[in-house]
Parts: sequence; structure tokens; C-alpha cells
Amino acid sequence: MNRSPVLAVLILAVLAASAGCADAGPERTILMVIPAGSLLVPLEDIEAAFESQHPDIDVRVEGHGSIQAIRQVTDLGREVDVVLVADASLIPDMMYLPMGAGEGNYTDWYIPFAENEVVIAYTGRSAGAGEITAENWYRILSRPDVRVGFSNPMLDACGYRAIMVTALAEEYYGEPGLFEAIIGGSFKPPIAAVWTDGATTIALPELMRPAAEKVAIRDGSIYLLSLLDAGGIDYAFEYRSVAEEHGLRWIDLPPAINLGSPEHADDYRKVRVNLGFQRFRSIGSERIGQPIVYAMTIPANAPHPAEARIFVDFILDAFREGRAGWPDPVRQDPGTATVYHATD
Amino acid sequence: MIPVRRISLPLILVLIGALALAAGCTDTGSVDDYPAWNLTLAGDREQVLTHPEIRALPAAEGYGYSVSTVGIKTGPNRYRGVLLADLIDMAGGAGADDLIYVSAEDGYLWVFDMDQVNGEGFFTFDENLREVTSPPLRVILAYEQDKEPLAYENGGPLRLVVITESPDVITEGSPWVKWVDRVEVHRK
Repeated sequence: MNRSPVLAVLILAVLAASAGCADAGPERTILMVIPAGSLLVPLEDIEAAFESQHPDIDVRVEGHGSIQAIRQVTDLGREVDVVLVADASLIPDMMYLPMGAGEGNYTDWYIPFAENEVVIAYTGRSAGAGEITAENWYRILSRPDVRVGFSNPMLDACGYRAIMVTALAEEYYGEPGLFEAIIGGSFKPPIAAVWTDGATTIALPELMRPAAEKVAIRDGSIYLLSLLDAGGIDYAFEYRSVAEEHGLRWIDLPPAINLGSPEHADDYRKVRVNLGFQRFRSIGSERIGQPIVYAMTIPANAPHPAEARIFVDFILDAFREGRAGWPDPVRQDPGTATVYHATD
Repeated sequence: MIPVRRISLPLILVLIGALALAAGCTDTGSVDDYPAWNLTLAGDREQVLTHPEIRALPAAEGYGYSVSTVGIKTGPNRYRGVLLADLIDMAGGAGADDLIYVSAEDGYLWVFDMDQVNGEGFFTFDENLREVTSPPLRVILAYEQDKEPLAYENGGPLRLVVITESPDVITEGSPWVKWVDRVEVHRK
């Protein structure tokens, strides 16, 4: 009986040691990284590769829409080490601002690192799948019985880009009424693409709720992919990388309308979307067409700026190499990364 | 050394009880646990409700389970709050075509139509994020989560929540406005 307390202490010591209590090892630095949703798959791969080379750093990835990703730093006051967005212009628009009275900006720079383009994704079961081509896609999507999906422009950059692409297509193909046939006519009242002063403007209603089954709108890309898979829609406006990553079929669109070509930036600028309401006090409700460029920055109040810099360099290297299903690397000298500063 | 064997069991229980009281273990969700918070209702008439006044209104309870735009699920949790429809009635009511603007102190705004205020027109999902037929839904401004005051980091003191009777029904998270401080009727 006298031995039992000693035995109990020994057993506890063994259990504690086996649970790692005796030597927890050096504490890992937690690097908080907030990317746009369409970067989640690449970031998953990059995180694993980075941590294998830097076992002292624990990368925590939390996906959001691009605007919400920035708001985690600006409006919600969270301490974030790296922010990555699917629309480079959002960083100067939302982060080149003072953190408080007399304080420096949330950031003064960003690095563009990848590009993307809008495609028409579909499956072998989609209506018209056997006949759709890069030349006739807009006629297939115009058919009343063909169902088309895109993400909510209020929530997702790919959503307002889908609207821009369709408006640009109307001009590009010289098909008056194309925008209404594919998207606008499914709303009550119809949404119109209005051409004035050399630019097309689409004013969206407060509620993006189609009155007809022809158009489906969901909060994000993953829900559209699920709908495509279930046959709830025939075609979805998606980023090329997302379609590729999910093993879908897709139609490449002409560079003049796919928002993927810097050479056509002037054409893209001719279309603008006015969102139905200002969802965030920190950013206006007008979106102007421009090439799809991904960018990242380290907020000025990042808790681990040195480690964040190492991770940013790692991301740049990973995207320069590229991989199927990832956005393409930016088209520039692969040995140099252009950094845009507040004074540029 | 502390002579443990000489301390009586009743004394130990009294000490534990005192510690528990000091830690607030016996009083969850008391009035003092709710922070000061006002909600402005703007319609035909405008009024400001304090948090105690909101909690004094008829309450609705149910399960809330949301998913973000990139598929991050949060919940399920049990929520208690006041029906958004009741608050709109207090502001003078709304017509079938009117829109309801729900906004928050952080500058976030979301717009609802009256179908949604009455729990219709939302997409619902199962655990695998496959769309399922929507069961009856209700829209509340929640002030309690799992019988505790709704914490600030979870959108409290007042958060818009879409509730159901079942814990396995997931709704899109975009309408779940955190830190709600204003409900406004926009006439059409």
C-alpha cells in the first residue's frame, strides 16, 4: 500500500513525458495569412512546402473574399502578417490609409504576383456541351433554356467580373441585347448595360435575386461548382485556374473581353459596374474593368514582419514556377518582382 | 506542508463554492453580463432601443449554422434573440416591396427583402455543402449564443442570425451581420 503513491507519481511522469509535457520544444511563430478564396488551393500547397523548410513557423491560412480579407486588417483591427487579394487595386484603395490619427498607413506597397482570366466553365452534362465552342459560346448561353451561374457581385470579385465580361462581349461581338439575353433579362426589372460617353455602365439592384431560373447567383465559387456538378446550372463564369483546378471543361474567351490581358486594359476600362449598395463604409460601390491581377502586402502592424517577408519571397518563387490549377505568374522578368509603392 | 488530512470535507466544499462564485460560475447570462448597446430602428418613425429593452421583447430561439463565401462553416449553435420582423413592425412596418437595410458599427451593410425577413429566399446546405430544400427559417437579431451573452468576437451584442429547428441546416453567412446597430426600412 505504501508503494502506491510512488507508483502513481511514476505513472503520471511517464504519461506526461509521452504526451510531450517534459519537452514541448521551441515555440513556433504563428504567421497569420489571409488570402482571397481563389488562392486557397495554391496557398495550401505553399504552406506545406514552406513549413517543411521552416519548421519554426506555423502558417495559418484563413480565406475570405478579397475585400473582406483587407477588412480583417483595416476595419476589424486583426493582426495579420500577409494579405493576398484577387484585385491588386484594392490594396491602394483600402490600405494606403492612416491606421489612426497621426499614424502611418496600413501599408504603402504591394507586389503583383499572379494573373487570371474569366472563362466559361461547364461539364459534359451541360445543355449544349456538345456544340459549344470559343466562337459560339455567347449564342449558347443566350438560349432561354440554358442556365448560367455566377457569384454574387456584392461578395466576390469574380461576380462583378462576370457581368463585365458579358457587357464587353455585347460590344465585342456586335450583338445588341446580348447582355440582357444572358443575364439582365432574368431580373425584374431587367438589368441593362447602358452605353454612354464611350463606356458601358451596369447598375445592379440592391438584391441580386433573379426572377427566372435561367440565372443562378451564389455567394461564392464553391457553391457554383457544386451546382454545376449537380446539374443545377449548365455554365458558370469562373476564373480559369478554378475551372482547371476542379477538372471542369471550359471555354477560353477572347483576350479583348476575358479581363486577363494587360494589353487590353484600355478596353476593360470601358465597362463599369455600380453595385446595388455600399456594402462597406471603407470602399465605394463602383467597380471599373481592369486586368485581373493578384497582389499581396505585409500590413504595417503585422506582428511578425521578418517571417512574413520570408513567406512573401517564398510565394513569389512558387508562383514563378507555377502549377496547373494555379493563377499564372505575372508576365514580367521572372527574376524581379515589381513592388508598387504609395508614391508610384 | 499543508495538513490536508486535517481540513474537513465540508470546509473544502465551502472553499470550492466560494471560488466558483468569485469566478462567476453560478450566474451565466445575468443582466450585468450584457454590455451597453443601442439599436436604432428607422422607418415611418425612428426609435432607439437599449439592450435591456430588446431582451424584454418576445424572444425566438433556434439553431444557427453558417458558411462563409469560401466554405468555412461556423456552428451549429443555439441562438436566442428577437425576430427582425417584430422590430420592423415597431418601426412602423414595411410593405411587400420595401427593403430592409441592416447595418453595423464596423460599416458593414446588408439588404434584405421582406421575403427574407420572413425566412424565405435563402439557400440552405447540408454538411457537405450540397444545396437542400430549405426548411422553415426565421431571422432574428440574436443576443444569446448557447445560453451565454453573444460575445463581441462572435458579432455580439447583436447579430443577425438565420435560425432553424434543426442543427444540421447551413445557411449562407453573408447576411449574418455582426454588431448590428441600425435597422432601416427603405420604401419602394
